[in-house]
Amino acid sequence: MNSRQPDRRYPPGDLAIWIFILAELSVFAIFFAAYAFTRMNNVELFNEFQQSLDPTSAMLNTIALITSSYFVVRALAAIREDNREGCESWLWAACAMGGVFLAIKSAEYAHHFGMGINLSTNTFYMFYISLTFFHFMHVILGMVILAAVAVKTRQGAYSADEHTGVETGGSYWHMVDLVWLILFPLVYVMR
Amino acid sequence: MNPRSEHRPMPRPCTLVYLVMLLLTLLTWLIGKTGITGLPVALGVLLLALLKGQLVGDWFMGLRGVRGLWRWAVILWLAIPGALISVAFYLSSGA
Repeated sequence: MNSRQPDRRYPPGDLAIWIFILAELSVFAIFFAAYAFTRMNNVELFNEFQQSLDPTSAMLNTIALITSSYFVVRALAAIREDNREGCESWLWAACAMGGVFLAIKSAEYAHHFGMGINLSTNTFYMFYISLTFFHFMHVILGMVILAAVAVKTRQGAYSADEHTGVETGGSYWHMVDLVWLILFPLVYVMR
Repeated sequence: MNPRSEHRPMPRPCTLVYLVMLLLTLLTWLIGKTGITGLPVALGVLLLALLKGQLVGDWFMGLRGVRGLWRWAVILWLAIPGALISVAFYLSSGA
């Protein structure tokens, strides 16, 4: 969180990760628009099969990701205070919440795949599985990044003066959270 | 606990933002559970999501303190898909 920082020209972290984040966000934006415009010609089908999804699981997953993002903010605040142990702990806690997300989503997939649902079942499930699995892979990558940053924090790579790595990893993780915040209502709730 | 953080006023702003996002998430879930449908409800739910996204961009990603083009990165990302989704739902509602 940058509330106490002066205005800056560039976002926190390595600028390269922001180029990557913009590219990723653009891909997801196209996916979201494709979902919405495909739904225009299949409203009844989308509304019917959307009801087979569990909004409670999606809500719990949203809470898991928001909480993990909050933990990353706390990790960054800790390292800015030169509190390396605190930073590492918050980062592992964020990873754990990512694990909660993966567990809940895996249970959802197991339920649907167990019912014989797959990409070719219908257009709604094609979008549901593609969108959520694409995001699922990003959660895994984000957890790997957070874990790497946590290990480097333990090794003393970051301090109050130099913590670009924490900002870079955190920015990627917030992007993963951001995408889910739109995906959740679009796929599970809006009809 | 680092000594420099001992006298920090609680809760931190980021904690308040986090709690607001939890409340908005629960509201979205409640709307989903009740099964209320219709264009105004769908667009309202989308608006809640866009608001949460803006909070993440400003307070979690730290873009609130950034000036220039980068300040608009998340705002535009939310606005463009948000507008497209709204148009698609409007057209499919037959309104």
